[in-house]
Amino acid sequence: MRKYFTVFSLSFQNEFTYRLNFILWRFRNVLRILMTLFLWTAVFSSRDAALGYSRTQMISYVFLVLIIQTLVLAAPSNDNVGGEINNGDLSNYLVKPISYLNFWLSRDWASKFLNIIFAVIEFSLLWLVFRPQLQFSENMVHILLGIIVWVVGIFTYFFLTKMAVFVAFWYPENTWGIMFIVLVFMEILSGFIFPLDVLPTMAQSALQFTPFPYLIYYPVAILIGKFSIAHSLQFLLQSLIWLFITHFLAQKLWRLGLKVYSASGR
Amino acid sequence: MPVIDIKNLKKYYKVHQKEPGLSGSIKSLFSRKYYDVKAVDGVSFDIGEGELVGFIGPNGAGKTTTLKVLSGLLYPTSGHVSVLGYTPWDRKPAFQKQFSLVMGQKNQLWWDLPAIESFILNKEIYEVPDAQYKKTLDELVELLDVADILKVQVRKLSLGQRMKMELIAALIHSPKILFLDEPTIGLDVVMQKKMRDFIKEYNQRFNSTIILTSHYMDDVKELCQRVIIIDKGKLIFDGALDEIVKKYANHKLLTVVFDKKVDQDKLSEIGQVKEFNFPKAVISVKRTAASMAAAELLQHFPVADLNIEEPQIEDIIREVFTGADVA
Repeated sequence: MRKYFTVFSLSFQNEFTYRLNFILWRFRNVLRILMTLFLWTAVFSSRDAALGYSRTQMISYVFLVLIIQTLVLAAPSNDNVGGEINNGDLSNYLVKPISYLNFWLSRDWASKFLNIIFAVIEFSLLWLVFRPQLQFSENMVHILLGIIVWVVGIFTYFFLTKMAVFVAFWYPENTWGIMFIVLVFMEILSGFIFPLDVLPTMAQSALQFTPFPYLIYYPVAILIGKFSIAHSLQFLLQSLIWLFITHFLAQKLWRLGLKVYSASGR
Repeated sequence: MPVIDIKNLKKYYKVHQKEPGLSGSIKSLFSRKYYDVKAVDGVSFDIGEGELVGFIGPNGAGKTTTLKVLSGLLYPTSGHVSVLGYTPWDRKPAFQKQFSLVMGQKNQLWWDLPAIESFILNKEIYEVPDAQYKKTLDELVELLDVADILKVQVRKLSLGQRMKMELIAALIHSPKILFLDEPTIGLDVVMQKKMRDFIKEYNQRFNSTIILTSHYMDDVKELCQRVIIIDKGKLIFDGALDEIVKKYANHKLLTVVFDKKVDQDKLSEIGQVKEFNFPKAVISVKRTAASMAAAELLQHFPVADLNIEEPQIEDIIREVFTGADVA
């Protein structure tokens, strides 16, 4: 375990290397929050409800999405793993007694950790300035279940994106393209852009059987109290099933990919 | 018992062939012609504990492929490979803790952090106890004289300094076996020499087994009692460096400096004139006839100075590779 903690700590230090880059990155984040806030304020300026959401509900939803995604979507592994497979840097890890997947999981968590620290500061400041009305579930069970589904989603996201990236083992030239498509799909189907219950019921129930809504939509919806406790529990169970499936498949692809890698070498 | 044992190792790659140009690219989308590249084609050797072996051959000879098989990055097409009793490509942690692979053209150090951080990470990865880590690090830092740059960002180091750090990172777990793939590539002569001294010292002090590949003959000449030469995937020589000379160089070189002008045609009667640039001439003669030829030169020519030399190892090896008759 200690080795992965050291990886975590080094990654954390690494993030601070480029100060300007760091500041710009945080600035971009604040801009994004502001834009989302203004957009929905504009939508609700002339009416009280849209898409079945009241103004407070919608602002709460997007606010929470922005917080939740700082932990779910932040993943430097998405940008690096494909490249390391292509150019052979993967070899550096393969000769050592360390798990490559856990190595990158640790690096991702370092980035997420940093993200959440700054996100909390930024959101608090913005909240103080704009004082949007927010509405969360008052039932602590909802909050607890929501947080668990959130954390499960973080891991599911890791394994899902790694599955996309492992395509590099077979098609070294195409990693970024495939990753891009997967990310776009993921943003839409996870509820990052809009709450999924604005979709037709058919589409909603179909989406239930994909891993995507468990990444953002369900944790957020549970936290704002959209579902009954029983329903929330059901989604927690299903999110765990997805974690299990994606973990299994990612491991499988990794092992198959390694076979190809060590047959051809890079 | 040898620490490294390779029998009849073969590694073929499937490579697809692309016709030149855009039309070739489009064609290759639909049908690809594959052919086998025989990177390593039936190589056998074994290496005992504490040996420092030079592994040489031209580009594409199969050196790096062999090292990659030995370190478990590649599995072979066929053949038997055992390193410290392990099958490398099982990648067992117990095996991985006992060797290190350094590739001169790849780095493992974290670019944006001081090298010391990468050392700490490797300490944890290899689960080196604190006391042993401190002792090893101090020893290596002293040997390589890098105490003052440990805390400098890796990106700010010169290539030579970085290579030293790469070596430390690779040695922090005191590996029994060290694979060095072109460790001196791109370094200036002073730094090359320092690296060599270090490798030699390390080998002697810790009795570690080292396989070294290099394009620089000086590396091999200075470091290795034994060399393995491969070319086009096949082993063509395995033995002491002087043996190459005996085996392949059946000629010696006479370097003569003359007092007065001499007739080049007359010189040709003594041996093959490789170089004639008055007052100096280099004549290649049969090894067995060397002293006779020297006597004859002294007797019949106005000789100011005479030297009998073995041909340069570089020349011998180059000619072995090109298949030419070795002079």
